[in-house]
Amino acid sequence: MIEFNRVSKRYVDHDALRDVSLTIPTGEMVFLTGHSGAGKTTFLRLLMLLERASMGSLRVDGRDTARIKGRNIGRYRSEFGIVFQDHQLLYDRSVLENVALPLEIAGFRPRDIQRRTRAALDKVGLLGRERANPAVLSGGEQQRLGIARAVVARPRFLIADEPTGNLDPQLSAEIMGLFEAFNRVGVTVIVASHDLALISRLRHRIVTLKAGRLVAGAGL
Amino acid sequence: MNKPAAGLGIAPRASVVSWVHHHRQAASNSLLRAFRLPVATGLTWLVVGIALALPASLLVILQNIEAVTGDMRSPARFSVLLEADTSLNAAQTILKRIESRVDVRDVTLIPQDQALARFAADTGLVGLLDSIPDNPLPHTLLVNPLASVESEGLSELAKGLKVVRGVDQVVFDTLWQARLAGVLQAGRRLVMGIGLLMMVGAVLILANTIRLAIEARRDEIVVIKLIGANDAYARRPFLYTGLWSGFGGGLLGAIMVGVFFIYLSEPVNQLLQLYDSDRRFTGLGIMGVLNMMFLGGALGLLSAWHAATTQLRELEPR
Ligand SMILES: Nc1ncnc2c1ncn2[C@@H]1O[C@H](COP(=O)(O)OP(=O)(O)O)[C@@H](O)[C@H]1O
Ligand SMILES: [Mg+2]
Repeated sequence: MIEFNRVSKRYVDHDALRDVSLTIPTGEMVFLTGHSGAGKTTFLRLLMLLERASMGSLRVDGRDTARIKGRNIGRYRSEFGIVFQDHQLLYDRSVLENVALPLEIAGFRPRDIQRRTRAALDKVGLLGRERANPAVLSGGEQQRLGIARAVVARPRFLIADEPTGNLDPQLSAEIMGLFEAFNRVGVTVIVASHDLALISRLRHRIVTLKAGRLVAGAGL
Repeated sequence: MNKPAAGLGIAPRASVVSWVHHHRQAASNSLLRAFRLPVATGLTWLVVGIALALPASLLVILQNIEAVTGDMRSPARFSVLLEADTSLNAAQTILKRIESRVDVRDVTLIPQDQALARFAADTGLVGLLDSIPDNPLPHTLLVNPLASVESEGLSELAKGLKVVRGVDQVVFDTLWQARLAGVLQAGRRLVMGIGLLMMVGAVLILANTIRLAIEARRDEIVVIKLIGANDAYARRPFLYTGLWSGFGGGLLGAIMVGVFFIYLSEPVNQLLQLYDSDRRFTGLGIMGVLNMMFLGGALGLLSAWHAATTQLRELEPR
């Protein structure tokens, strides 16, 4: 369970989030929407401990995240699978090696890494491209590679920031379908997207931010 | 995903096992990376090697000098130079007088001709005997004190010898030993100083190597920190890069010292033979090689630790 309690985030002279209170129960799929600059990315960055709240508290499964520091941040982050709009792939490694990264960090056996990596690539339809360099993949394929890496270690939370940003409608629907599939097996999914047309067709909770304030979807 | 998400709350395997595994992986990957850039790696090893080889060579040379001079330590002895116009007869008389002292064991007279011949033989200037019309050396008495006489007694004796009529100068022969000890002491400090400077140089070079290695893998570090690696994990490969650079440098340095000593040992051994020494020039030895590698490795690890710790703290995902 993720609990934002009266969270504000202030950048020098600008409030990116204002007094946001929101509870996301375990196993739910939530869309975070709002215009550009509304604070979606800031919300996710706070959750990943890439930023710290200026006010309020953020609890994950009862843990006060303000108390998570130093070497424990890595362990905390590895409970999340993150899909970035700009992919954040490593272009000096193969597709397979990119997907294997979270498993290596978590200390899986080489045997298990092989097996799980291939299973994750299969799930996103990239099996057969293991040896390829990510740079030769199309935008949609790179996004799916990012998703494979995000889910390979079976995180409890899956987070995606504008995962369909540059994709055509059909690919976007495909990607959202993948997220729904992970949600069905119990993963808590949070997707930030300003593509209202796309997300309103899917029947999940939609939380709307406007200039840093939560304007809809707060209630359960 | 066919099973419900297990999450990483359930450890994939015992953390010690995976920690050991990652160490092994980081160690071998760092070594492979080093060999994949043979020129850059070779240059780093060479520079570190030179930095370690110079003080190591000086140290070994110093140790050899100390060993050789240690053998030469003889009991105290005075050379008593008589006045230039002293006749051989008068010299004999002076010998008797000195010999009668209670603190003197024996006295030997070296007549001036013999003194010159000895000097010529010692220095190799044999032609000197013919070319010098007047022997500039006086008759000399070699005075051996009793073994029981020590420092204060010796200066007492020196004073006593000085006032004997016909005596020009009293030279305490162990003076050269004191001087040599002083020179050796200065030499040791010089080696220490040079060694320290060179080690600082090696650390700076190694730290710079690590900094460049981190810079080259900046994206990777940011990404792995983003997806759950902590600083220790991200730092590990670079610590091994530092360790290998240091080891390699130490090994290369030891090889350089070894080659240099092979080149040096023949003339030095000939020289030692000339001095009737049964000593042989001793090089680094296996312990010396290991010490150099160990020192190199330690310096490498230290440099890498410092460079990686400071730099990784700044490489936060944005
Ligand atoms: N590091 C930062 N420093 C200053 N202002 C920032 C920073 N990050 C985001 N902002 C501002 O905070 C607001 C919310 O940004 P963001 O969370 O990225 O919005 P969204 O993802 O909904 O487009 C924007 O006005 C943005 O300019
Ligand atoms: Mg954004």
